[in-house]
Amino acid sequence: MKAKCYIKGYAAISPQESFSGGFAPHLLTLEGKNMMHVKEPDYSGFIPPNSLRRMSRVLKMGLTAALQCLRNSNAKIPGAIITGTGRGSLQDTEKFLHNIREYSETALNPTPFIQSTYNSVNGLIALQQQCTEYNNTFVHRGFSFEHAVLDSMMQLAEGNATEVLAGAFDEITDEHFYIKSRIGYWKKELTQPAELLESATGGSIAGEGAAFFLFTSQPSDICLEGIKMLYKPSEEEVQQALQNFLSSHDLAGEEIDLLVSGRNGDARYAQFYDNVERQIPDAKVFYFKPYCGEYDTAGAFGLWAAIKEMEQWPANNAVIYNNFYGEQHTFMLLRKVV
Amino acid sequence: MEALKLKLKQQIIEALNLQDTKPEDIDDNAPLFGEGLGLDSIDSLELMVLLERNYQIKVEDPREGRKILQSVQTMAEFIKSKQVA
Amino acid sequence: MAERVFITGIGMISAIGNNVEENFRSLRAQQSGLGFTRYIDTIHKNILPVGEVKLSTDELGALAGKPGSPEFTRTTLLGLLAIQEALQSAGIADPREMPAAFINASTVGGMCDTEKVYFDILDPQQEGTFLQYIDTLDCADCTQRIADETGLREYVTTISTACSSSANALMYGARLIQQGLVQRAVCGGTEALTRFTINGFNSLKNTDKQFCRPFDQQRNGLNLGEGAAYLVLESESLVNSRKARVMAELTGWCNTNEAFHPTAPSPEGDGAFEAMRKALAMSGKTTADVQYVNVHGTATLNNDASEGKALERLFGAKVPKFSSTKPFTGHTLAAAGAIEAIYSVLAINRQMIFPNLNFSEKMEELGITPETKLLEEYPVRNVISNSFGFGGNNASLVFSRYEG
Repeated sequence: MKAKCYIKGYAAISPQESFSGGFAPHLLTLEGKNMMHVKEPDYSGFIPPNSLRRMSRVLKMGLTAALQCLRNSNAKIPGAIITGTGRGSLQDTEKFLHNIREYSETALNPTPFIQSTYNSVNGLIALQQQCTEYNNTFVHRGFSFEHAVLDSMMQLAEGNATEVLAGAFDEITDEHFYIKSRIGYWKKELTQPAELLESATGGSIAGEGAAFFLFTSQPSDICLEGIKMLYKPSEEEVQQALQNFLSSHDLAGEEIDLLVSGRNGDARYAQFYDNVERQIPDAKVFYFKPYCGEYDTAGAFGLWAAIKEMEQWPANNAVIYNNFYGEQHTFMLLRKVV
Repeated sequence: MEALKLKLKQQIIEALNLQDTKPEDIDDNAPLFGEGLGLDSIDSLELMVLLERNYQIKVEDPREGRKILQSVQTMAEFIKSKQVA
Repeated sequence: MAERVFITGIGMISAIGNNVEENFRSLRAQQSGLGFTRYIDTIHKNILPVGEVKLSTDELGALAGKPGSPEFTRTTLLGLLAIQEALQSAGIADPREMPAAFINASTVGGMCDTEKVYFDILDPQQEGTFLQYIDTLDCADCTQRIADETGLREYVTTISTACSSSANALMYGARLIQQGLVQRAVCGGTEALTRFTINGFNSLKNTDKQFCRPFDQQRNGLNLGEGAAYLVLESESLVNSRKARVMAELTGWCNTNEAFHPTAPSPEGDGAFEAMRKALAMSGKTTADVQYVNVHGTATLNNDASEGKALERLFGAKVPKFSSTKPFTGHTLAAAGAIEAIYSVLAINRQMIFPNLNFSEKMEELGITPETKLLEEYPVRNVISNSFGFGGNNASLVFSRYEG
């Protein structure tokens, strides 16, 4: 795949003050639960009241992040809209399951069912921007956002689009937090983000967020050079893949000056991050999960944080490495255009 | 009938989350869909749920629904006709 | 010049058969699979007809070589059976022999099984083995279990765009091949009936209590179905080097969005028209080259009106034979695009057009009617297959006879 993929604009809704555009990383103090929520912006400046009244939380988050990304990019109608989400609208899925039980399958509100559909945010973005072009949604844990990125790069390479709006969104609910706590997703003891990475136990802190990017074939400051995904690899396979990935871009590990790492304090998968850090020895390392928590599409916040870091810090080559509970692993390479 | 219509307006506002609308803003005969309140086909399904949950009236056919849900007036008349029957 | 993409293997399971040959026999015998559910616990079970696979989950497990494996949901097992057949039909003994993609599609993942224990999961008092399978409730679970069983692992992902999901999976796999990222991609979707989706579509009031009647004036909604289907896509160079048997060529595809309404299509079928027009243009064929359109044809009031308009706009006075096969299988949501892709391949290979069952009265807003008879020895060379979904997602695929 030959085409270049530049980042023209971006926007993120996260547990950080990210929506305004700046990024001054701030570690939250958690109370009660290992769970962090996003700072929700005022949606009314983005979504007409007649649409807003019906929309559940993650729909508002996803749509607004997408619209803000377009505004930040001075773009209106992208050539494609591609998203990733691990869970879609949990709130709606839960509501519909509860309604089925509560009302014994009679007189059910259709809205939660419609909004539980994974591609509903994509449809809303297309509807609001009147974008009739390519529209796709990936729903695969730690490969949801990542395939949205790959799909975007292919759209640019194929020449079908010159600008692609790609992004991801996931929310955490109390109910889903509890479900995942039963199978070891979160740390058992209350753990503060500031101590997350020192932890020697399994599990992480639950998070959520929405982040969108406008990828374009027209040169801009930062270029997404490549992406490499690995499914359930061994440690050796990850190491080999990183080496191949870098050399395919004529780079050595020493030439990477920024590593944005998805290390999440889960001791079960720390070895993967240790290895990557050894292979990229001279880079400044930025760990993004203490700022956004762990969720299926945290990689999108990782990309956002990497761009912010590159803007503020003289990094020429940045690698983002993330894995989702040891199963879906991804490398991305960013290069500053000089 | 007036009491029923007021109740209905309150229920519509709640069911459809019409936050800035008050019952007195809704004219009895104003069209609910398109122009008037600007409701759409999903709202019409929600209003059918409202009728079923609160008035035990089941509207099976969406085509029939469209006639009943023209305005608060037509909804109230329909409810009355069912209650008498 | 991008590589041509060929179909070298097909596998499926649906309400009308547990493999491709059984499906074909039912299509030819005009034998519908619609009826009442035997396996779903719902108040609608004797009211709303569905297209259910005629095997219990235990029977599916035994057939797929996974007896007594509760971690394999019905969704996973349907998919596993279909993919095993697809790989076998492509003559692939060991999928690990080369880097290959597995692009799956699902709308509610393992909901079929998790909805039965969901409130136990929420109850701290409830403990048990079901807790180990909590993860089956997302869409990725079935994909990963199928990937792990078959050894497909270079690209593994799941697409969910409602009723067009597996058509988009096929498109994505074909594009991975064209971009040279893989030589082989196994693409399709799997869908099990659930109380969740039955109630969901019922809440939209677009489920028919009778057997669905696509393109009929009296149509009154869809019947849900379940099933799974996968197609093995391979690059021309791989096909040549391993001398694979080619069943058909995937010559064109297009995904467009209606940007009209969250659930309803535009009255004039703008999205459907564009998807078909662009897919056909990509294939290098003209409207005169198309002998058959396997329409989305859900039998909802809106879909058929809008899709019919789009056909009339695209083909003018010469609309080719078209039919909806949903009266056979029900609407299998995420699996529908792949199931109907295989029916399109069969139409080409067996030179046959399958009838649109349950049709009797022409729609007043259309000048066209679907094909209601089985046509044998019909010269089918190019087929358009349509899949349209919520969120305005429209996908059209063009399948062409292999000409070497």
